[in-house]
Amino acid sequence: MAINAFGAGAYAATQNLVSLAAKKASTGAQGAGGAGDFGGLLKGAVEGVAQAGRKAEAQAMSAVAGKADIVDVVTAVAESEAAIETLVAVRDRVIAAYEEIMRMPV
Amino acid sequence: MDFLKTISIAASGLKAQSGRMRVVAENIANADSTADRPGADPYRRKVPTFERRFDRELEASVVSLGRVRPDQSPFRTRLEPGHPAADAEGRVKMPNVNSLVESVDMREAQRSYEANLNLITATRRMISRTLEILRA
Repeated sequence: MAINAFGAGAYAATQNLVSLAAKKASTGAQGAGGAGDFGGLLKGAVEGVAQAGRKAEAQAMSAVAGKADIVDVVTAVAESEAAIETLVAVRDRVIAAYEEIMRMPV
Repeated sequence: MDFLKTISIAASGLKAQSGRMRVVAENIANADSTADRPGADPYRRKVPTFERRFDRELEASVVSLGRVRPDQSPFRTRLEPGHPAADAEGRVKMPNVNSLVESVDMREAQRSYEANLNLITATRRMISRTLEILRA
């Protein structure tokens, strides 16, 4: 079924996102949602994105203070942007799928 | 994710080339730095070296600026008897910096930097084009 296939794709995408964020920040496997429930997975993904965002923010702050390389700032911001865009795209699709189900005449 | 690794690797290239630009800037700025007394050496041209480094976090080879070594070629001399660093024959040792060589080096660093920038731009475009599949 199409929804099923999409769900698996979204799962894989967010899972990648989470493992990436976990590797980058190396703060342990917090909220990785290993049990496979969607809420935990989403929580982990959002935390990963937030972590990437914090990293970018820290880089930008130290650049303002004149301590960071501009290249580091740009790469950190680009990474967090990619993570956020991925999460937003997945979220939009999940919500669209949910609304489609809700519109189904029972 | 490979895309983000690509961006980080290209960023290492950017950093290495900006370090090279720094060395070129030092050479050009010091092209006329002589010694202040006879017998002493003037500024010696610096040569940047690049080295491959295996980044364990990225699991890929990145580039970094290695040691900056002095150029061993002989100094130029110029006849200028009034100069404080002139020897008994009135010759002054000038730095072994050739501004033509330095501008070629600078241009090379610039092109290499741009190549790495293009790589980052292309990677970012690939990421966003892939995400557009979900948006459509």
